[in-house]
Amino acid sequence: MEAGSISAGVALDHHDDDHGHHHGPPMANRSSRVSHEILGMLLFIISEIMVFGAFFTAYFFIRLVAEGHRWFPFEGYELPVAVAGMNTAILVSSSLTMHWAQSSIKNGNRFGLKAGMVLTSLLGLTFLFIQINEYIHIGFSPQDHAQGTIFYGLTGLHGAHVFVGLTLLVMVTVRAFRGHFSPEHHHGVEVPGIYWHFVDVMWIVVYTAIYIV
Amino acid sequence: MAARLRGPGMTRAFLGTLIAIAFSYVVIIIMRTWYDLNPVVDGFAVLELSLFLAPIGFLIGLGAFDYWFYWAAGKKTVADDHSSHGAHSWRDYFKVNTDHKVIGIQYVVTSFFFFFVGGLFAMLMRAELAQPGRQFVDPNTFNGLFSVHASLLIFLFIIPVFAGLANYVLPLMIGAPDMAFPRLNALSFWMLPLAGIMMLMSFGAPGGSFASGWTAYAPLSVTAPEGQVFFTIGVQFAGASSIATALNFLATIITMRAPGMSFFRMPLLVWANFSTSLLVVIATPFIAVSQFMVFFDRSLGFNFFNPGGAGDVLMYQHIFWFYSHPAVYIMMLPGFGIISEILAVKSRKPIFGYRMMAFSLLAIVVLGFTVWAHHMFVSGMQDWIRVPMMITTAIIAVPTGIKIFSWLATLWRGVLHLDTPMLFALGFLTMFTLGGISGVVLAIIPVTIHVSDTYFIVAHIHYVLFGGSLLTIFAGVYYWFPKMTGRMYDERLGKLHFWTTFIFFNATFAPMHVIGVQGMPRRVADFAEQWAGWNLAISIMSFFLGLSALIFAYNMIASWRGGPRAESNPWRALTLEWLVTSPPPIFNFDAIPTVVGGPYEYGVPGAVHGVLKGGAEVPQPAGATASGAGSGRGAPSAAKDEE
Repeated sequence: MEAGSISAGVALDHHDDDHGHHHGPPMANRSSRVSHEILGMLLFIISEIMVFGAFFTAYFFIRLVAEGHRWFPFEGYELPVAVAGMNTAILVSSSLTMHWAQSSIKNGNRFGLKAGMVLTSLLGLTFLFIQINEYIHIGFSPQDHAQGTIFYGLTGLHGAHVFVGLTLLVMVTVRAFRGHFSPEHHHGVEVPGIYWHFVDVMWIVVYTAIYIV
Repeated sequence: MAARLRGPGMTRAFLGTLIAIAFSYVVIIIMRTWYDLNPVVDGFAVLELSLFLAPIGFLIGLGAFDYWFYWAAGKKTVADDHSSHGAHSWRDYFKVNTDHKVIGIQYVVTSFFFFFVGGLFAMLMRAELAQPGRQFVDPNTFNGLFSVHASLLIFLFIIPVFAGLANYVLPLMIGAPDMAFPRLNALSFWMLPLAGIMMLMSFGAPGGSFASGWTAYAPLSVTAPEGQVFFTIGVQFAGASSIATALNFLATIITMRAPGMSFFRMPLLVWANFSTSLLVVIATPFIAVSQFMVFFDRSLGFNFFNPGGAGDVLMYQHIFWFYSHPAVYIMMLPGFGIISEILAVKSRKPIFGYRMMAFSLLAIVVLGFTVWAHHMFVSGMQDWIRVPMMITTAIIAVPTGIKIFSWLATLWRGVLHLDTPMLFALGFLTMFTLGGISGVVLAIIPVTIHVSDTYFIVAHIHYVLFGGSLLTIFAGVYYWFPKMTGRMYDERLGKLHFWTTFIFFNATFAPMHVIGVQGMPRRVADFAEQWAGWNLAISIMSFFLGLSALIFAYNMIASWRGGPRAESNPWRALTLEWLVTSPPPIFNFDAIPTVVGGPYEYGVPGAVHGVLKGGAEVPQPAGATASGAGSGRGAPSAAKDEE
């Protein structure tokens, strides 16, 4: 695993050569096998899971506890289960292409990295596009009833995460085409990759809760 | 001027703020034109979008995101760029600084600023409550005062001041050169003053400041005047700041400990912040979401809490308290850590039951998530939830009790040094025990039903947050003052501060138990004639309590400017932060120390916690400001001459 950004010994040596006495920070001891970048992302994902958890709490109350609780389909409101199911397939396949990009750079395959990143970004973009299209044709708004509120709440929250994930992916793609990353230094691909996988898994949970159950 | 506008700094930050507000204007005009809404410019809509975007514009202008922007654009970035590290003049404290020591001081000073503002609001409230009837403020302003008082002191003082103290000492304690994510650390600090300023700005909103308490219960907060959004959005920034800091602490503690520092050789302050950070990472998203839902309901007409649209009002309280009950431990556990450090050092004894102290922290983390509905006994929720919540609430007193008794056992037959930090630690021990006991009393459902929304609750929360948290904060600030500033504080003033605080704190809040049990309602600007005597006494005592804080302020400012120089280890403590000069050199250590023993072996002959390379001698670091501090006594010899 590559050296963390804090503990780059390279910078230390460089300073020593240039200035003699003056030197940068001592190299931090690595007290865990996990690098702090990966750990930071995993902890952030715990936080993200709790954000979704709070929305799922609302979902639970609105669907099962509130007075007048009910769920789709009702009064002619229906959810496009099949379209969303296809969208799910698109997002899941983007996780596979992401994995391809990650394992490519680990093996030094630059073409695989670039192609994987472009494919993943495109699939993510398609997902968002279909999602927005679904909003336009769904026939109710969050202002209509609490069911609409939580539908838009959960899918919108997830959509926002797809958007953030896509932004990260585009950055990684740009850097990949500019020749960054190597088999030794690929945290910049790996960390956004973890986030993208999280966004995918979360969608499966959201899809199951909203459309299927 | 053009160069100042291009380079990161305050000038560009204000420009960024203006651009963000202009941008909000444009977005609102475009959106409202798109949806055919009249009028096209809606002041409240612009305000609400600005409240989200202006702080972000400020942060971009300040330069908090510069590095990431370079990274995102695919430019070459130097991960180890230390150009914004360390402070050479006071101006560096107003910049984005990546040095955890600078950030720690930024945090502590900022949060004490909000402490004094929040305290001032308390003084205004007590002035109003000195007599029955209306004195100085109208009821709505009064509601605003207690709401802003609580919000500032919780979100802008207690939570961040602990983060600030830990920011300063935690990397030193575990032998790390900095935090794991220095740039994220700087960003989390800078979100904080913005949140505080936003909450203060709410007084200028039409309809006055937010006035629904720091709990902002729906549907009150959904229908309240515009001032409410300053809370709704301000909390987002304070919350994001605290989550970012927490994951920074966790990553630092897990990946950057010095060689030899196993988890069970960590000082308890590190354990305490580890547990607190877990709580923050897991719980804080819930308050962020609860306020987002309020925002959506009030600004966009969503139906989360609207029963008319099949929403659920009580859901707000469940989501809110699922954060806000763990939050009371977020506000207490770091204090536990501070007290563990001070009691062991000042009674020259190993801490009693080190492992149980660590495990009880983790137990509190787990149990803290199982008690939230005890805040809702009178809310009309399902009856069957009450008794389980009562039982879990009583159980959570057990790990806390373990800590109290371990501290007492630490004191037992110790050589007590009754200086200021120790006095505050002992004051905490007694006051927090009283507050904890009234907490257990409140866990009993019939009692809660009787005293709900009375001054008994006010007394309880001030015994745990003032008598508990604030006394630990004072203890910690005095204890690490020499390390942080390189100067000694005035011991006589410190003791005077302690005794005035301790006496007038009790004189102010103890009587509230009595009038609470008699039924005086809280959060009301007026009260019945029968409590006039008590309230006048409480108000007078509270003014003296307010004055006692001025002694602290004077002591801190005067000692920082002209106190005697501090040696590297004035308390003869073993933990690693005392191995380096006061204040520590810019990168903390010349070489990472090695840990060879437990952190609390006081009075054990020959015990060593950590050694710097080349023996236990303190090195002469380049650029150290404290003269002669480098030759401070080595920790092991200090421990030896005690016995």
